[in-house]
Amino acid sequence: MSLYSFAYGLALWICEVIAWVFNTIGATGIGGWLVTPGVVEFLQIIIVALIVFIVGFLVSITFIWEERKVLGRLMDRRGTQVGFLGLFQNFADGLKAFIKEIIIPKDVDKWVYDAAPVILIGISCFMIGLIPWGPDFYLANLTNGVLLVFAAFSIAPFAILIGGWASNNKYTVMGGMRAAGQLISYEVPLLLSVASVVVLSGSLNFLVIVQQQQDSVWYIFPLIIGFIVFIVALIAEIERIPFDLPEAEAELVEGWMTEYGGMRFGLVMLAEYVRAYVACSIAVLLFLGGWSGPSFIWPEVWFLLKVFLLFAFFIWVRGALLRVTTKQILGIGWKRLMPLALVNLGIAIALRMTGVF
Amino acid sequence: MAEMWLNMGPQHPFTHGLWNLRVKLDGETIVDADPIVGYLHRGWEKLAENRMYPQIIPMADRLCYGASMSWEHLYCNTIENMMELEVPDRAKYIRTIVLEAQRIGSHLMWLAALGTDLGSYTIFLYSVRERELFLDLMQNLCGARMTYNYCRIGGVRNDVPANFERDFDRVLTHFLNRMNDLESLMDRSSVFRLRMEDTGVISGEQARNLGVTGPNLRGSGVEYDVRKDDPYEVYGDLDFRTCFEKEGDSFARYRVRMDEMRESCNIIRQAIKRMPKGPYRLKPPRNAPKGKTGWAHVEDPRGEGFMYVIGNGDDHPYRLKVRSPIFVTVSAAPVMLIGYKIADVPAIMGSVDMCLGETDR
Amino acid sequence: MAEKKQKKGKRPRAIMWDPMVVVARETVRHTIHSPNTVLYPWERLVIADGFRGRPGLVLDKCIGCGICKRICPTTCIEMVEIELPGKGKVDRPKLNLGRCMMCGYCAEYCPKNAMLVTPEYELAAYSRKDLIYDPFKLQYEDRPGCEVDIIEVKISEAKSGIIGTNIKTGENIRDYPQADDKKCIGCSKCEKVCPAGAVEMYEKGKNEKGKPIRRPKFDPAKCVSCEQCVDNCPKECISMVEVK
Repeated sequence: MSLYSFAYGLALWICEVIAWVFNTIGATGIGGWLVTPGVVEFLQIIIVALIVFIVGFLVSITFIWEERKVLGRLMDRRGTQVGFLGLFQNFADGLKAFIKEIIIPKDVDKWVYDAAPVILIGISCFMIGLIPWGPDFYLANLTNGVLLVFAAFSIAPFAILIGGWASNNKYTVMGGMRAAGQLISYEVPLLLSVASVVVLSGSLNFLVIVQQQQDSVWYIFPLIIGFIVFIVALIAEIERIPFDLPEAEAELVEGWMTEYGGMRFGLVMLAEYVRAYVACSIAVLLFLGGWSGPSFIWPEVWFLLKVFLLFAFFIWVRGALLRVTTKQILGIGWKRLMPLALVNLGIAIALRMTGVF
Repeated sequence: MAEMWLNMGPQHPFTHGLWNLRVKLDGETIVDADPIVGYLHRGWEKLAENRMYPQIIPMADRLCYGASMSWEHLYCNTIENMMELEVPDRAKYIRTIVLEAQRIGSHLMWLAALGTDLGSYTIFLYSVRERELFLDLMQNLCGARMTYNYCRIGGVRNDVPANFERDFDRVLTHFLNRMNDLESLMDRSSVFRLRMEDTGVISGEQARNLGVTGPNLRGSGVEYDVRKDDPYEVYGDLDFRTCFEKEGDSFARYRVRMDEMRESCNIIRQAIKRMPKGPYRLKPPRNAPKGKTGWAHVEDPRGEGFMYVIGNGDDHPYRLKVRSPIFVTVSAAPVMLIGYKIADVPAIMGSVDMCLGETDR
Repeated sequence: MAEKKQKKGKRPRAIMWDPMVVVARETVRHTIHSPNTVLYPWERLVIADGFRGRPGLVLDKCIGCGICKRICPTTCIEMVEIELPGKGKVDRPKLNLGRCMMCGYCAEYCPKNAMLVTPEYELAAYSRKDLIYDPFKLQYEDRPGCEVDIIEVKISEAKSGIIGTNIKTGENIRDYPQADDKKCIGCSKCEKVCPAGAVEMYEKGKNEKGKPIRRPKFDPAKCVSCEQCVDNCPKECISMVEVK
């Protein structure tokens, strides 16, 4: 049973209940209008969007829990202990962010300062809806899914730059510019690797790509160089150590987020983890076969398992390595990843032309 | 972007203590640096003029709380030189062992701070975990983990506990194994080398002229170690080598300290084997003659520490002067910083091992 | 050292593998043996004998000599007068824990081992007033591991092979006072303030009016070197003789 049909049944039931209430009190016009297909479909879409959003959101929050626990084990300590297995820590953090006093510095550019975290979290939540979880569990089955996700992904440098600039602080300006430079320069290897996958599968639709991988082989095997380039570029895009310089605490306090307090900071941190979730999901969908796996487990569970494992790999990388400086980040981005991405694209084109795929 | 002065500190998650580093930036390059210290000044030298000689020992602990035994020992040596006391042999061996254990502990703390500055909390936690073992050894010996109050004028406070040799042997064996792990986390990590190599270069000539001592000097190729050039305690009888490197960059200073940790293990093992039995604490005179002076210098984990005392005729000193190695090295900071990027600042200042307690006194 | 660095400089490719191997190995080790965390306050670290927590007082042993007050580097001890059954009004130490730096000097120099180093380190309070411990709050049960002894060897005996004498119980090791005969007026104040009963006034002849001249006699075996007589003598005629 697909998500849409389940939501249709639920929406119909809700509309019938409300229509029955209206019919009993005598307003049969509204009652009749409520059970028309247009209204039910509208409600159906809202229910699907709500379900997908809530599930994606909860998974992002679980990423925070996973990071703290796994990182704790790496460093020979226990992670969070609040609540059962530490799961309550996220809600405690959210509550803390909520009840803090909001302090706005004096000479900030008010509209821009307010807009930056809103843009960031808005874009991130928009991307949650574009990720399909299983063959029947998705919000939108777009023919250009990949393109739209990456377009939304790339608005983040804009939000960071204006956020840093509007805060009226030397440190945040530097942090914002560094972040923008880093993110923009890593877009190119990222998109080149994605281009190689698209060349091999022939479509920009996530569902079609996963279907192709189920039919042939997971794309990580022919495109291993592309996978590595993609992963490194992804770590740089979501601003984790070792590419952490925009938020480097040792030098620039918190980088571009310094002047944001209270819930604004909570939203920005949340946006970071939502972007991490979206990034891991895209990597799994494009390279690791999406939800393909033995059929005794639901495909959605397989998908989640792979996403969590990939994120555990990211945490492992964070635990072992140090921060890299800006000059070296840009050097790695342009001098090492670009040629490898081009080589990878060449391999993909060759495989496609010779008819292997 | 135009040139601007940036304040790194005094409130900064830069670890290392409370000081202000003003750098003049041209884009991302540093063109000038101006360190400002003095936020932690407690008037130590004046406070010492109002206290009896034994009462100053816990205060000397707090000069540099990361390496307290070293400063206690320096102070006791100074007073012993002034009063011309001959410390018993067993006390000298115990002091040497404890000083070298303190050197390892201080270098591990430096490593932890360096790890956090560069962004790797893993290094921080691993180093601090190893340091806990040494703190436990000191706790067994004298009852405290950080400010020991163990050296006395004329010896040490109490004799070593039972199982001293066995505990030290176990800890050193375990620590040398762990050092291999720690080193592969850092030496063989290309990111670490990218950040530390060719940054903060200071030549041997410049370092000598500016008065830099300790591992910072030995990282630039000058082979000067007070333990070898002017031996005190029992260093003259033990067999160890001076660790030095030639390049003068941050990586060289890092390597010097890692090698020093291994040499310290060596020294401790030799000293434990040769420790004689006998008395360990001498009854010092109460008063020092008026106008009598005394001085001593030691190899502190951070450089050459030096103290000078003038007696007053009764049991208070007339003047007690402290020369702190990091106070001098901070003045060399501009030489090490100019020409590099601002992202290199934590790596460079982290490799210099600032301890603000002794800088500001 | 240069060749070693170059050999290690031949590293694997762009992304570093060695630290990740080390960290992976350590993670497995930390999962098999539990991590190094001590879940305070449900678990606590084991502390050594002789750990220097807050100072403690054994009221029965204290003689009110005030050496702890003299030797404390932060002047956190004050002598206050309290009423004890059987002894009347006596001076006992009051400690300001806010200033105390747990150096252990009061326990080390106390002549009767009445001040102890205790293993108590959880000392938080809600106000500064709660941190001032009067002699009754300062009490602690006497245990052998909490006492600190000084075993010193005199300079004259340093080469003779003895390990040292315990200052608190030994003979001929503590400094004792002596009075300047010309300045002393025989007021016997030193006899009244001595907490250890080491001063005795004896008669030394008669003056021109026929009244007896009294001079103090100090007993080095009983004296604890508290210097109360030195501080309280109105003519400042007492000084300490050092035993070298």
